[in-house]
Amino acid sequence: MTLSPHAGRGDSFETHMAAETARKFEALETQAGRIMSVFTAAGYEAVSPAVIQPAGVFLDVVGETLRARTYVFTDPDGDELCLRPDLTVPTCRLHLERAANGNAPGRYCYNGTAFRFQPVGATSAHPREFRQAGIENFGSKEREAAEAETVATIVAAVTAAGLRSFKLRIGDLGLFRALLDAADMPARWRPRLSHHFWRPEAFRDELKRLTTTPGHAVKGLPVALASGLTVTSPEKSEQALLAYLTAEGIEPVGVRSLSEVTESLLAKVADASSAPLPAKTAAIIERYLAITAPARDAPRLLKDLARQDGVDVSAALEVYNRRLQLMSNAGIDITNIEFSAEFGRTLEYYTGFVFELVTPELGPLSPVAGGGRYDSLMRAVGAKDDVPAVGAAIHTERLLAAIPAELGSAQTIGGAS
Amino acid sequence: MSDKLVFAVPSKGRLMDQASEAFARAGLKLQKTGNDRGYRGELAGMDAVEVAFVSSSEIAWYLKTGRAHVGITGEDLIREQMSDAGERVEFIAKLGFGHADVVVAVPDCWLDVRTMADLDEIAGPFRRNHGRWYRVATKYMNLTRRFFADKGVTDYRIVESLGATEGTPAAGTADLIVDITSTGATLKANGLRILDDGVILKSEANLVASNVAEWSGATRAAKNAIAKALAGN
Repeated sequence: MTLSPHAGRGDSFETHMAAETARKFEALETQAGRIMSVFTAAGYEAVSPAVIQPAGVFLDVVGETLRARTYVFTDPDGDELCLRPDLTVPTCRLHLERAANGNAPGRYCYNGTAFRFQPVGATSAHPREFRQAGIENFGSKEREAAEAETVATIVAAVTAAGLRSFKLRIGDLGLFRALLDAADMPARWRPRLSHHFWRPEAFRDELKRLTTTPGHAVKGLPVALASGLTVTSPEKSEQALLAYLTAEGIEPVGVRSLSEVTESLLAKVADASSAPLPAKTAAIIERYLAITAPARDAPRLLKDLARQDGVDVSAALEVYNRRLQLMSNAGIDITNIEFSAEFGRTLEYYTGFVFELVTPELGPLSPVAGGGRYDSLMRAVGAKDDVPAVGAAIHTERLLAAIPAELGSAQTIGGAS
Repeated sequence: MSDKLVFAVPSKGRLMDQASEAFARAGLKLQKTGNDRGYRGELAGMDAVEVAFVSSSEIAWYLKTGRAHVGITGEDLIREQMSDAGERVEFIAKLGFGHADVVVAVPDCWLDVRTMADLDEIAGPFRRNHGRWYRVATKYMNLTRRFFADKGVTDYRIVESLGATEGTPAAGTADLIVDITSTGATLKANGLRILDDGVILKSEANLVASNVAEWSGATRAAKNAIAKALAGN
């Protein structure tokens, strides 16, 4: 799925029109035909998920930020529904209907309309309705192979549509996680830093807090409570919490249990007695996030960086290199790929490899295609466990705009593949 | 089109009573025209002004669309209904009544949550324990979204609540709330506590002018006369 960030309305290639011309419609249909024939030839089953979706599933997955950009409405029965803001979640739901736990293999492709409210007004680079053509691959255990194949299939599809000039950008949340795992810090700090990865500012604040005053939160606690909290004994601590609430006349309200509150209080207490994160480790994390380099050079840069802190990220680098090799084997020109450690920071449901395809015509703020790995999405829509999943989508209006007219609609279907 | 200044004034409730008192103090005589239940009125001695009695929540919409030139309403309602309030309207004067803070409040028994950062920290554990994001009940969907985004909190769900919001955590339909409070007594009675950095907006009634209404020399002069009278006391 591709969720381009809010930015990027400076780029303009024709103003938005309320209705498309018959000619543009035809050009999009022709282009979609070419794309879909590449997808189906690669073994993806064409599906057409419902346009109207239950809102709750989306809002749970994408959170309130995208809700503000989703057309949500209440039907006469009082059910909260939405116009799909992308096709990945609907395709997950479709797969889940067919395979009870969602973990059976499934390969799907689609071409359909998605809807997004554009807060500053719709433009043709950021329209409120647009057609996505994409693929989703569920349940494949050959992780890097599935990722490389996804990129190769998207590249084949845009090439078949007539796109000649583009650049690939990749990122890898696995490398970031490996760096965190290898760095020396209390285990409970890692999920916190991971959680903040998507919000650069909050991430910087958290990193600063951990290197300076990790225990500051305890200072706000009433002494009568703090004195009863013992990290080594959650049971005693819970009793102390209960005693404090009773003494203060604070009623229990809501679904969070005493033990949940205790656990969270104890994490704060533990932070207070932890040594701050070494400034050197924090600096390495920040320097990693600043890496932008040709994809083939990135492993060397990361290795040099990790060595300075004596941490070992070789397993994650092996995965990275294997994927790159598989992409090369699939015919992708890997000298044309740029690695960016920060890439993926605005797209929270991705869990590993991410990529996007940028053209010189539309610029980096309006990628024509993008995707990646999102192993936790299937569980978020109802599967029992995480399901390996990788997918990508093409923003078809942008693709059409990026292709010179003589190469695009004028060609016959199949002529370019 | 007549060249009168349309002045939107609260048509009911406490805000209407307080607005009437403010008019009286300012020496402005507000009169309803037509029958007593009418929705139009005038200010004695100000021929260029036509008063529209509108419910306070709709006044923001009147100003946003330019149906009214000026209006009296809470800053909270303006900011909630316009993401670009700074462009669409001008806050002319704070009127000294209708004070209400828009705040984030959590159950007081959440002793581990005192700040927005604490709230963000429990998002993951909450989801693991309850299988969903925590729910925030509010009628201020936009203010909530903007404030939470500013504070870096993204993993939550909004539940729209149009009344008795402060009771939703106890009732189980939400986990925390964003609501207005003037004394905090209602929050306390419902076992809720305002976060240390949880004040989104300190709101009060304002005299507000629309930037998108059609302005002329006459309407501008009328606006200035009203502003001078109301702001001067």
